[in-house]
Amino acid sequence: MSTFDFIINNYRQVIYLIGEHVWIVSLALALATLIGVPLGMVITRHKALAARVINAANILMTIPSIALFGLMLPVLSLVGHGLGKVPAVTALVLYSQLPIIRNTYTAIQNVPPAVVDAGKGMGMSRWELLREVQIPISIPVILAGLRTAAVMSIGIAAIAAYIGAGGLGVLIQQGIDRVHQEMILSGALLVSVLALVVDGGMALIERLVTPRGIKIQQPRPK
Amino acid sequence: MVIFLGPSGCGKTTLLRLTNRLDSLSRGNIYINSQNIRDLNPVKLRQSIGYVIQEVGLFPNKTIFDNIAVVPKLLGWNKEKIRKRVDELMHLTRLEPDLYRRRYPAELSGGQQQRVGVARALAADPEILLMDEPFGAIDPINREQIQNEFLNLQAKMKKTIAFVSHDIHEALKMGDKIALFNQGRLIQYDTPEVILTRPKNKFVANFVGADRALKVLGLLHVRDIMNCSPSNIVDAAQTAPEVLKMLEQKNLRYAIVLAQGKPVGYVTSQDLKYEQGLCQEVARPYPLCLEQGTSVHEALSHMLMHDLTTFCVINDQGDLVGTVTYKSIQKSLQDFFADDAEAQ
Repeated sequence: MSTFDFIINNYRQVIYLIGEHVWIVSLALALATLIGVPLGMVITRHKALAARVINAANILMTIPSIALFGLMLPVLSLVGHGLGKVPAVTALVLYSQLPIIRNTYTAIQNVPPAVVDAGKGMGMSRWELLREVQIPISIPVILAGLRTAAVMSIGIAAIAAYIGAGGLGVLIQQGIDRVHQEMILSGALLVSVLALVVDGGMALIERLVTPRGIKIQQPRPK
Repeated sequence: MVIFLGPSGCGKTTLLRLTNRLDSLSRGNIYINSQNIRDLNPVKLRQSIGYVIQEVGLFPNKTIFDNIAVVPKLLGWNKEKIRKRVDELMHLTRLEPDLYRRRYPAELSGGQQQRVGVARALAADPEILLMDEPFGAIDPINREQIQNEFLNLQAKMKKTIAFVSHDIHEALKMGDKIALFNQGRLIQYDTPEVILTRPKNKFVANFVGADRALKVLGLLHVRDIMNCSPSNIVDAAQTAPEVLKMLEQKNLRYAIVLAQGKPVGYVTSQDLKYEQGLCQEVARPYPLCLEQGTSVHEALSHMLMHDLTTFCVINDQGDLVGTVTYKSIQKSLQDFFADDAEAQ
């Protein structure tokens, strides 16, 4: 119970850290979406590029986060942001690319060829086809990718406290430094709860934006 | 309506896709109303041609209304015009607008989906329709029905249609002309009758099958071969001895009994002997009567089934308009293949 006491006694700091954590993750996710979704769509038109882009995103994923922060330190130092929120957000954007690109790519690829053919055959331009047909059909899978990226980013953002990005990782980091068990636990607990809440929220959004015609097709959402 | 017919992989689908430039021509030209399609904008070209495919390819995220309205929307019609047109098309393809307008493709049966596919292709009233095995994925019973509906529709619309099929029955039934392809080459381009009676080479003969005489019967209708003024007609009010006398005079085996112009049955001289009453009382009823639009193929089948060589043909009111006999079927076939014999 002392973990809860700790949270209640320090609620101002805790709320601030939650806000900071959510801010880092949302910013990173927004940027990652802006890069990853269009990239995933572009590579459906260039198969050779697709393999390379997805491989690159795969390799990024294998780099441990601490190592990635270290690698970025000298690079981002050149623009005066070796530590803090900039490298944290950058790292999260990079990590998020794999689920976002891969899901977008797969979703667009999996739109039935007959549907695409029918659209083209009726005289839809590429853009009209994408906007009217391919994106609406793909949206559940694309959002599933964003959801994975969001949950993963919340976990990684906790580690970013070590490069001074702030967020709930601060509780864990300082707790370890001070051998303060309640502090470590409250940090870990809050990160987990945040991840669960975001996961649930995104699942809800996923269900809301899925076109009704597609829901009928697949009565049980994955 | 031209049917592109041929075995799988003979290039009939490719020819269709070349026409709306979903595939591009490597050599040669295609002209529509003497305009080379290479000179046209592919998107504009496709908007002016209706396109129906076997897999239907309805947009699962859109309602039936929005699916049908795709091309009119692309062409920028106003809402009222689109709404009217979609309703009209749904009536035409026998889908109740109020019932189906807001449904999604996943809620419809295969046959209904294909009807929507046809309606969608007709939306902007294109002069040309490309249909790639449109009824191929529908079960045989529904296919027969949707083919008939489509033929009725075409009788009203009179569109130019290129229709891909690998089914000889469908081709014979639907086509004004058939273009038979093999391995990317056009083998024969003729009317169904000529394809059946004068196949150009062994490939065509094999493709139409050894039962082509029977297939010719499928092309003929009862009205084409019926005897409109049969001599062996008697009225129900005549007495048995009267009828028997007439049969003997004319040397006939049987007579058809009519009551107020409607066939009641037939009587043979055997039935009439020793009878004194009205001939109506001894008449044996026909198991069924044929309609004028019935195929001769079906008429023959009835003859075999019921062991009768004559059937009455009736109009919509049930009045007798003629008779069909086994002999008349034989004769019509002989006439049909007469050209064939002369050609060889």
